[in-house]
Amino acid sequence: MTRKAIVGSLLAWGVLLFLVLANAGGEKDKPVLPSGPHVSCGDCHTCSTPTAEAPCLRRCPRFSRAIVAHSPEEGPSVVILDQLSDLYVPVIFPHKLHAEMAGMAEGCAACHHHSPAGHIPPCRECHGGPSNPENLSQPSLKGAYHRQCMNCHREWSHDTECSVCHARRTAEARIPEITDTTDIMGLLHPNIEEPDKRIYQTDYNGGTVVTFHHKEHIHLFGLGCVDCHHEESCERCHTTEERPVRVKTIEEHHKPCSSCHDMDRCGDCHAKEETAGFTHARTGWPLSRHHQSLDCRACHPARRKIGKLDRDCDACHSDWTTDTFKHAVTGLILDEMHGEMDCADCHVGRKFDQKPSCANCHDDGREYPESSPGKKG
Amino acid sequence: MAINRRGFLKVVSAIGASSLVGGQKKALAVEDFSGYPDRYGILTDLTLCIGRNCRKCEAACNKENKLPPPKVPLEDNSVFDSIRRTDAQNYTVVNRFPNPEPGGPPVYVKHQCRHCDEPACASACLVSAFRKTPEGPVVYNKKICIGCRYCMTACPFYVPAYEYDNPFSPGVRKCTMCYESRTSKGRVPACMEACPLQVMTFGKRSELIELARKKITDHPDRYINHIYGEHEVGGTSWLYISGVPFEKLGFPTDLGTKPYPELTRGFLSMISAVLVIGPVLLGGLYMSTRRRGEVDADEETIPEQEEDQP
Repeated sequence: MTRKAIVGSLLAWGVLLFLVLANAGGEKDKPVLPSGPHVSCGDCHTCSTPTAEAPCLRRCPRFSRAIVAHSPEEGPSVVILDQLSDLYVPVIFPHKLHAEMAGMAEGCAACHHHSPAGHIPPCRECHGGPSNPENLSQPSLKGAYHRQCMNCHREWSHDTECSVCHARRTAEARIPEITDTTDIMGLLHPNIEEPDKRIYQTDYNGGTVVTFHHKEHIHLFGLGCVDCHHEESCERCHTTEERPVRVKTIEEHHKPCSSCHDMDRCGDCHAKEETAGFTHARTGWPLSRHHQSLDCRACHPARRKIGKLDRDCDACHSDWTTDTFKHAVTGLILDEMHGEMDCADCHVGRKFDQKPSCANCHDDGREYPESSPGKKG
Repeated sequence: MAINRRGFLKVVSAIGASSLVGGQKKALAVEDFSGYPDRYGILTDLTLCIGRNCRKCEAACNKENKLPPPKVPLEDNSVFDSIRRTDAQNYTVVNRFPNPEPGGPPVYVKHQCRHCDEPACASACLVSAFRKTPEGPVVYNKKICIGCRYCMTACPFYVPAYEYDNPFSPGVRKCTMCYESRTSKGRVPACMEACPLQVMTFGKRSELIELARKKITDHPDRYINHIYGEHEVGGTSWLYISGVPFEKLGFPTDLGTKPYPELTRGFLSMISAVLVIGPVLLGGLYMSTRRRGEVDADEETIPEQEEDQP
């Protein structure tokens, strides 16, 4: 074999290898084509002879209804619909819950109609943006979402209130916490607008009106929905029919409150007229500047009824020492000498709420605040 | 030139016949008009409308046409307790009708101008203040309106409303399919854009009818086989499909398929002929009878002269 022949054959092999590799790379970039006996050319192409330059592809090919057989667990648990959220905050759509309900009827295809085999597109993939003048039968994304939801919601809950799914976007509205979707009735559920307060009329002679400050219990006392609503049925909200009034015993009536409140002080809840919300001053101890910003549970131990606490400062603040407490937060920066002294040297018996005494060291009768152990900061 | 009676009658009958034939031809030409070919329309799918707690179409219409704030707030569902009509402050209203099937959900019907292909209001108008545009909407020109309100009497859907509370420059008010601000510029009407369920589809009327047929064919369990407005009063631009027979939903179903203008067209086309032939015929008859009288008088006087001569 001559040298020329060797170079020639090497070159040929090289070219061949390149072609094979290039082809392999090309394969990877190619879209996954739908296959199977049910797919015909017309499903994807509008013309009879599509070419690379003019593939005449349909915007969203409508395959025959896919038989999608996935278990609810395979799909996403919660889907946040935020494509159209200018007026309202994003919608929390409990996908898994709906997948479970759809299992009783048509399955996934109840919503995911016209899905190609092997791929379940989200709504927005076909119903993108405003309505498509090329295809009048394809509703816009807004139309598609609402039709899909209302189709069942009208029939099952008779409820077409926007707030069933939407929370209005206002300046103070919180974007719902996406991480914890279980704290609504202990189920996956779209956000519910909580009432501000409820006023109950009772037949108790000592005071017929009971004002329940609902929002306060959530935002001030930090209760979750399930803390009270733990035995709710869907029907409680999702029905238009009058529910038969069940006669409850006195204990049953008071149960939602009695799990936290003592039942022996009727006047705390029952009044002649509507009562104002909670203020700490009502307990006989108006909160000072620093205490006001605290959560209830910062002082009142967690997982216990909120009750009277020892008013002695040291009961909570036993950890305050010269090293740990920065005296400047009180508005008085201690001078070098006083800064090293023990708290109790001035605050006799660690009674921080009372006037400090200078008599432990100074016997000239000086008094605070006329003579100051530092300067105002 | 002497006009004898036979000759005169010949001429008169020839004129009459020619004007009659002419009138007939004209009328036929109008009947053949099957509407502007590319006119738009709106298909309303009544199975989708949720009505209660919504009325977003009414809100959008109110805002688009800068109408006064509604007397009953849009959030108030008590409006559904009675059947409302369109008026000068509400170009569109949504009404609730009970479902004839026991337990079925109530049916909500959005009512507004149907934008007839051959509008009765335009035909009744003395000054042509109403006009069917090639795009489909029937629009109104307040500048030339004389306030006779014949349009209100003529409309088979009781749509045009008069501004009775406007003493100085009252006009007729109705839905214009947002012609000025939207549809003439290729945008969809405000009510359609606002509808959360896209109950309405805006498009070429011919394509909408195809779409409606397809929906009915694909879901015979969901729809009744009737596209309201396809043929009613000669066809309207606003079309409806429904799951409940239209007569149960306040739709007049006794309007026939003839365009309303056609009911008077035959009679009105005769008027020109009557105006032309009438005077000529009667005048001619008068002249011929008068001439005969003169001749008779002449004949009577001649023998007298003969008697005098001898």
